[in-house]
Amino acid sequence: MGGLQKKKYERGSATNYITRNKARKKLQLSLADFRRLCILKGIYPHEPKHKKKVNKGSTAPRTFYLFKDIRFLLHEPIVRKFREYKVFVRKLRKAYGKAEWTGVERLRDNKPGYKLDHIIKERYPTFIDALRDIDDALSMCFLFSTFARTGKCHVQTITLCRRLTVEWMNYVVTSRSLRKVFLSIKGIYYQAEVLGQLITWLVPYQFAHDHPTDVDYRVMATFTEMYTTLFGFINFRLYQTLNLVYPPKVTQYLDLTFSCAQQKLSALSASLARVVATAEEEENQLDLFPTEGEDQENMQAREKEQKEQEAQKRLFEGLKFFLNREVPRESLAFILRCFGAEVSWDKSLCIGGTYEVTDETITHQIVDRPDMDKQYINRYYIQPQWVFDSVNAQMRLPVEDYFLGTTLPPHLSPFVEEKDGDYVPPEKLKLMALQRGEKPVQEDEEEEDEEEEEEDDDEEEDDDVDDEELTEEKNLKKLEGTRAQGKTLAVKVTPGKVKPWETGSVGNKVRLEQEEKAEEKRLAIMMMKKKEKYLYDKIMFGKKRTTREVSSLRCAPAKPTRPSLRPFACRWR
Amino acid sequence: MMAAVKRLKRVAALQPGFISFKSSAESDDLNSGRRKRVNKNKKKNWNKHSDIQDVEEFLDDVRLQERATGGLISEKPDDSLFFVDIGEQKKSVRPEVQERKKGKKSKSRPLRIDLILQHDSLVPPPKDVLAYQQPNAKKLRRIAENAEKLAAMGVLPRRQKRLLNRRPATKTSKAKTAANNFPDRPYYDLWGGEAKETADPYYLEQTGKRRVKRPEKLNAKPSILPAVEVIAPGGSYNPDFFSHQALLLEAHEVEVKRERAELRLERQLAVKREDTATEETVFQELVEGLVEEEEEEQEEEEDVSIRGGLQQEKKTEKERKRERADKIKSQQKQAARVFTDKKQQLFQLRSIQATLKRREQRTRERVAQRKANQEAEKSMPRRLGKLKFQAQDLEIQLSDEIPGSLRTLRPEGSVLKDRFKSMQKRNMIEPRERAKFKRRLKVKYVEKRAFREIT
Repeated sequence: MGGLQKKKYERGSATNYITRNKARKKLQLSLADFRRLCILKGIYPHEPKHKKKVNKGSTAPRTFYLFKDIRFLLHEPIVRKFREYKVFVRKLRKAYGKAEWTGVERLRDNKPGYKLDHIIKERYPTFIDALRDIDDALSMCFLFSTFARTGKCHVQTITLCRRLTVEWMNYVVTSRSLRKVFLSIKGIYYQAEVLGQLITWLVPYQFAHDHPTDVDYRVMATFTEMYTTLFGFINFRLYQTLNLVYPPKVTQYLDLTFSCAQQKLSALSASLARVVATAEEEENQLDLFPTEGEDQENMQAREKEQKEQEAQKRLFEGLKFFLNREVPRESLAFILRCFGAEVSWDKSLCIGGTYEVTDETITHQIVDRPDMDKQYINRYYIQPQWVFDSVNAQMRLPVEDYFLGTTLPPHLSPFVEEKDGDYVPPEKLKLMALQRGEKPVQEDEEEEDEEEEEEDDDEEEDDDVDDEELTEEKNLKKLEGTRAQGKTLAVKVTPGKVKPWETGSVGNKVRLEQEEKAEEKRLAIMMMKKKEKYLYDKIMFGKKRTTREVSSLRCAPAKPTRPSLRPFACRWR
Repeated sequence: MMAAVKRLKRVAALQPGFISFKSSAESDDLNSGRRKRVNKNKKKNWNKHSDIQDVEEFLDDVRLQERATGGLISEKPDDSLFFVDIGEQKKSVRPEVQERKKGKKSKSRPLRIDLILQHDSLVPPPKDVLAYQQPNAKKLRRIAENAEKLAAMGVLPRRQKRLLNRRPATKTSKAKTAANNFPDRPYYDLWGGEAKETADPYYLEQTGKRRVKRPEKLNAKPSILPAVEVIAPGGSYNPDFFSHQALLLEAHEVEVKRERAELRLERQLAVKREDTATEETVFQELVEGLVEEEEEEQEEEEDVSIRGGLQQEKKTEKERKRERADKIKSQQKQAARVFTDKKQQLFQLRSIQATLKRREQRTRERVAQRKANQEAEKSMPRRLGKLKFQAQDLEIQLSDEIPGSLRTLRPEGSVLKDRFKSMQKRNMIEPRERAKFKRRLKVKYVEKRAFREIT
């Protein structure tokens, strides 16, 4: 009978967790130091499933950490550095109190410092791990680099962040990896594809700061400390992959002093020095393998994608821009340079302007004011939105809509991907038509066309929209695919056919292809089982209904170009 | 005394050609006494009675001579002792005197103190023999020869070898570690080549040469939300009409919800209508206790009825039997009922199957729902401390605030706050609020005397 009596809270979840205060005492650190350590090491608080059990019967809200995490922290060498620093501060204060100035000086000389390199290595064992987690670091560094020297954080930190962000921008420019830009009311969102990773970051507008009071600056500074270290190492590696010199140098102005070179670098108008001087970047060709069936289709798709990307990279190549002084210089210079354009600005505005306004070879001048006094005939005067919209559309949009003084078309978010049947703004439809290579016709006609297409056959619908399929739809497609397998092989044209975008007559080829696809689909439908057919019809019915609704929505309002309604009274004004 | 002088003479006489320096000996000679007879078989007596003064005086004289003249006078040549007197030479003296007079003033004489301290003995100081000798000279010479031979062969001595072999002092240990936010700090290839460790991992870990491995679990992110959440398309600086309206609607809903919560709180805190005083209740309160009431009587009546109910009569035998029979009967009836029901169920198979199906369907739905909830929870902010996470206000611009161009755009919200909230939302830091200032001691206001006088 019996044995020892079991005590409560000595096993199970109660022993797996530790409260913050206990953890702090175990590590012999102050709360601020503990918080800093947790941030640096990437150890986050944890919400237990059964709070009452973990909290030994109490229901008081507490912050819990996993016990094993804290035990892991005990091994960290930085902990000792923190303690040393605490002692250093104490000694310094004492020396000050006694007015021992030599003592103060000596202590200052021996101020304990610490490195974060090993923590970065530990948290991100490989380079790709680090690159995946860079979004935060980028946003934070861009944010800190815009801070004024107000004493909210160290000036050194601001300078370091500025340096790192400039280096990053120069990397993106050189590798031409920018994909999307979105001007929001909060800031500018960028998306780049670096070594196969999609990286998104947010850059605040310049001069947009009021320092909020409910943000813990100390926590933010700690995060920034960690992120700057991470960011620097990533930058180094990225520069290495491109054979660039790190820290970056400007090719032309090698003899300039450091600060000047840094400024020149931040102007983003010069190219970087390379370790190995290469005449031209060699294009990396896809390896060609003899393939069959689906593989071949995949290969073709991939090839097509790559071609598109290449084309996008040279979007503004050969164009010469001039930025007026009222446009955001840094972001525009960054974007334009990313796509191969030449940029310049007024000399009095910033260092790095390479040519004057009077240059006859300028093709576009970016202007953001109602009208200009003196205009040159051989260049377009366009508003800055043209650049952003063109980048998102992956093509040079017609400049007529963006001329000086005209009302701009809406700036659509490139981060939205419409599902099939969702409401798509008419501007986007127009844009997609442009992308397909159709001529921009009268708006009414265009819309009618679209409606007709929707009504007469829905097969057309899912081809022309680059979309994410619904899950049901996916299943269905797979089903069709299996059905149609034999047929496709028989019907298939020879694999080495000429692509439509290489030859001249675009529309005709596209139509042909579409027809072919529609034919395949019809055959697949014919071969369906009764049960599957039923399901298919049902799905199609649902789709039709949504499209009908959408089309009614699109037709209904005579849409004002600039909405001037004030529908809701909101209080946070 | 006399004897001593006699002996001195004898000693001096023994030295051939010795010339005594002192000439006082003659006078002492007269006072000589009788010779004493003493036993000389004891050493004590030797010292006591043997007279050695004559010898000592002789030696003193010798020493004096050496001091004063630098050697025994008897051994000196005659030229140094004598000179030929040929009278005064007047001519030669005069200029000398004049010169001396001049020199007195011009040349500085040595100080008297220096003259006193000057070594006046003519006996040269004895030579320190050891100063000219080297200890172990032979050995050292041999060693040096040996070293030369080795050096010629190219073999370094051990000490030099050790110096060469010593590890250079590591600068990093002494060098100050630069601050992490140093703007020109250098970076390097952190993920470059790694040196492979050959030693025992346990040894390395225990001696602190290798860090403890980070558990895999720690690399998992606490939330699946992306680091940078892109604002809705309505948040564009020049938005499409419908997406802008959608964003406004969203913001509106948030606002409505907040207002509703506030209203509810107000409603709950409001004073109930029944609690407010009416004329009637006021009157009742005034009259309370003045008027006799009838309730007491009623209570008494109730008491009686309860008491009656409590008193139960005893059951008769007959009654008990009947009750038992009833019970058995009802049980039988129940059993029969169950039996028939079971029989009937055979014909209800279809409906039973339907209910089963429905039940299964329901459980499946619940499972799916629970799964969905769990998925949704992954992206929800957790409760990590005292405070709940509170999302920041949605950034919107009303229709009349939308700028016509990029130049006139007024940015909404703060990116700093957005980043901070994003971290809280992703469970990286717990939500906290700024510590409020709490005064520990009361502030006491005292009117100063001077001030009081004025007013």
